[in-house]
Amino acid sequence: MQIQMNEFLFSMILTELEDAVGVENCSVRQIDKVTHSVDYYWLSRMWADRGCRMPEADFIVCPKDASEVSKVLKIANYYKLPVTTWGAGGGTQGGAIPVCGGILLDTKRMNKIYEVNTDGMYIECGTGAIYKHIEYAANEVGKATMHYPSSLTCSTVGGFLAHRGIGVCSTKYGKIDDMVLQMEVVLPNGDIITTSPAPKHAAGPDLNQIFIGSEGTLGVITKAQIRIFDQPEERRFRGFLFQDMHGAFQASRELLQKFKPSVMRLYDEAETASLIKKIVGVERKGAFMNIAYEGCREMVEVEEKILLETFKKYGAEDLGSEYGEKWWKEKITFFYPGHMMDIPQMFGTMDTIAPYNKIEEIYWAMKNAIETNFPQAKFIAHFSHWYEWGAMVYDRFIIEGKDVPQDPVEALRLHQAVWTCGVRAALAHGGVVNDHHGVGIKLGRLMKEQYGPAMQVFEGLKKQLDPNGIMNPFKLGL
Amino acid sequence: MMMSEKCKQHVDSCRFCWMCHHICPIGNATGHERSTPRARALGISLVNREAIELSEIMDNIYECAGCMACVKECVTGWDPVMFTKEVRMQAAMEDKLPAYVNKLVDACLDCGNAYGKTAICDTLRAKIASHSEATDTLLFLGTDARYMACKQAVKAIEVLEKAGVRFTVLADEPASGAQLDFLVGALEETKEQMAKAAGIMNGYKTVVIYDPFDAKAIKQTYHEYGVELSAKAVTYTAFLAELVQSGALQAKKTDRRVVFQDPCQLSRDLEETEEARTVISAYAQLDEMLLHGKETVWAGNILMAQYMPDVIDLVAKRRLFNATSIGATAIVTASPAEYTALKNVKDSGVEILSIEDLILA
Repeated sequence: MQIQMNEFLFSMILTELEDAVGVENCSVRQIDKVTHSVDYYWLSRMWADRGCRMPEADFIVCPKDASEVSKVLKIANYYKLPVTTWGAGGGTQGGAIPVCGGILLDTKRMNKIYEVNTDGMYIECGTGAIYKHIEYAANEVGKATMHYPSSLTCSTVGGFLAHRGIGVCSTKYGKIDDMVLQMEVVLPNGDIITTSPAPKHAAGPDLNQIFIGSEGTLGVITKAQIRIFDQPEERRFRGFLFQDMHGAFQASRELLQKFKPSVMRLYDEAETASLIKKIVGVERKGAFMNIAYEGCREMVEVEEKILLETFKKYGAEDLGSEYGEKWWKEKITFFYPGHMMDIPQMFGTMDTIAPYNKIEEIYWAMKNAIETNFPQAKFIAHFSHWYEWGAMVYDRFIIEGKDVPQDPVEALRLHQAVWTCGVRAALAHGGVVNDHHGVGIKLGRLMKEQYGPAMQVFEGLKKQLDPNGIMNPFKLGL
Repeated sequence: MMMSEKCKQHVDSCRFCWMCHHICPIGNATGHERSTPRARALGISLVNREAIELSEIMDNIYECAGCMACVKECVTGWDPVMFTKEVRMQAAMEDKLPAYVNKLVDACLDCGNAYGKTAICDTLRAKIASHSEATDTLLFLGTDARYMACKQAVKAIEVLEKAGVRFTVLADEPASGAQLDFLVGALEETKEQMAKAAGIMNGYKTVVIYDPFDAKAIKQTYHEYGVELSAKAVTYTAFLAELVQSGALQAKKTDRRVVFQDPCQLSRDLEETEEARTVISAYAQLDEMLLHGKETVWAGNILMAQYMPDVIDLVAKRRLFNATSIGATAIVTASPAEYTALKNVKDSGVEILSIEDLILA
């Protein structure tokens, strides 16, 4: 039964939530509602920019641990109130926006660092911890998390887990789903569970991987053991200019059969044109690639030799280490206002992933689809997460402010159309809905197009774990 | 709400930027999303677009400590503290301050301090009286030390006595204007308070400023507001460093291990990070917290504790955690506000010392 909210019932529910998390951690103030209604999703930002209010939660609750989350979910289930989990709001897909109102569950009070274990090489922390803070904790004992996305300072551990995030050193150290050992999860009915003590086992399917990427639709991840690594003795960089992207793909595939660099970034010709001028001072055609390799000094020496030999075979021009070192120092500078696309521009990153035999075709298909159907859009791309079998393309469209409708609904319609066009082109050529930003409300409609009948597996899990459908409704296509 | 074009530009740049999300000491302590620069900017931008009322965001506007961590973090140069202060000033001009802020402002105007205090403790009064004679050097104790941390004020005087310095302390010390500036920004009343204080300070060759909160105002804000200060203004820690280096303070180094809590006004606003370390290193073994110097994390104050004491306690506890996580057992402070905030945490297991405590031990 869907409840009809009224002032009396609202007040009753509020007292129950206050009892669960404490009065000071339960808010119905406008500032809290507004703050949690706009995340990094372009549409929510545009909506606010036009002076419109996004959908807001009725109650903002900040539990301190799994036990308080459990209490909140039991209340939500009883009253059949939607629950949207919010980490730090740095998501680009609208996954944290409380589109149906109800309860907004902010995890940031669950930011405790329980243990820094240098024998087991992990940090156990609440998932509300900002990732940069666990990096600090690792650094205090001479270690590092090696998870360095541009959103390192803006996102929580839980946020990265919820949407399967990735960092710039992923090729060597892995994606977030490779970084986690054990997790504590509160199921929608309020039960608190822990996943296997170790992530690699034959004790059935991996529970971690059911919840990682589930974007708050199947429960709330409340605690995690996150891997830490020794700081590398040495980290070196090398820049290369290939004649074209095809040569770079061939060289990279061969390189990855030999060793794993930490950073690999290949830029398409449009991005190369502006980058390469900064590096060598003149415009040059081609595809620029930045590589970092790191670890024990002796290994780094050997890797450098292999890198240079392999890339030379494919005609790459060695541009030295200066660019890479500068890029490393300023790797998140590009994301500050004034350096980054911002409103009034319309923009988006339609990242997808595929094996080497498809990824180039996907790039050209997406570029062609966007540039043909939306001539006002600029299309640029780079490839920044690599595996032995394939790579991810980080392709972006940018529409200048003069071409973006002022009317918010018209702007929304254009935004939807560009995304649908780009992602459908990726799917048609063997890509996926998304590589590492997640699905949210932005791409939920396209999940069935990717998965077809396989979607019933997700729907079955959802129905069994969340029969009342309270958890993050209309996200992930569920 | 009236707002300068400059502030509007900063607000609209910060409202959708998450890059300093990790840095706010209050947001980190409470876990509340609203205590982030982007949330504050978003709220202001929506007021500017008439989507919400100014009154809805005013509490949030007063949840900013002005510690400048976010400003330092921004590589582009956007300044959330600047626009937060401007909203405070505009709200004061439009008579839209929260009642608890009005009470503090009224006390500043009536008594010269936000706490409404009219008398200082007997020990401090006697100590001050022994330095009533006019000299070239004025020790400016400041509001927090005089009214809320008088034991530390007494020790501050004793340290200078120990070094043989001839100095004056005023029985009727004027307010520096720092508290009023924090509460309502560059209003005429603030500038008048600052001008009055500067007029008195200008009767001395050197003013040694004990409290970093006042030091920022006197050494930096006075100039920004066009208040003329001809006296040489020196922070207390810089003055002590000179005394140590000249041998006037004869330090005896011990094996005691301590960490230093950099006051944000010294390290970020005035860029003084080494002076206090010179002093501490002369008396003890100095270890460092991971976030120190310009990266320091604000540990609380007395003024904000008047209206959000529980939050200030959380802030101080979180900073203590930074210290204990590297195995520290003693923290040396150089600010009466942070000393008080850290000392107020019960059963922390960490010894809280002022720089004077260390010298006089």
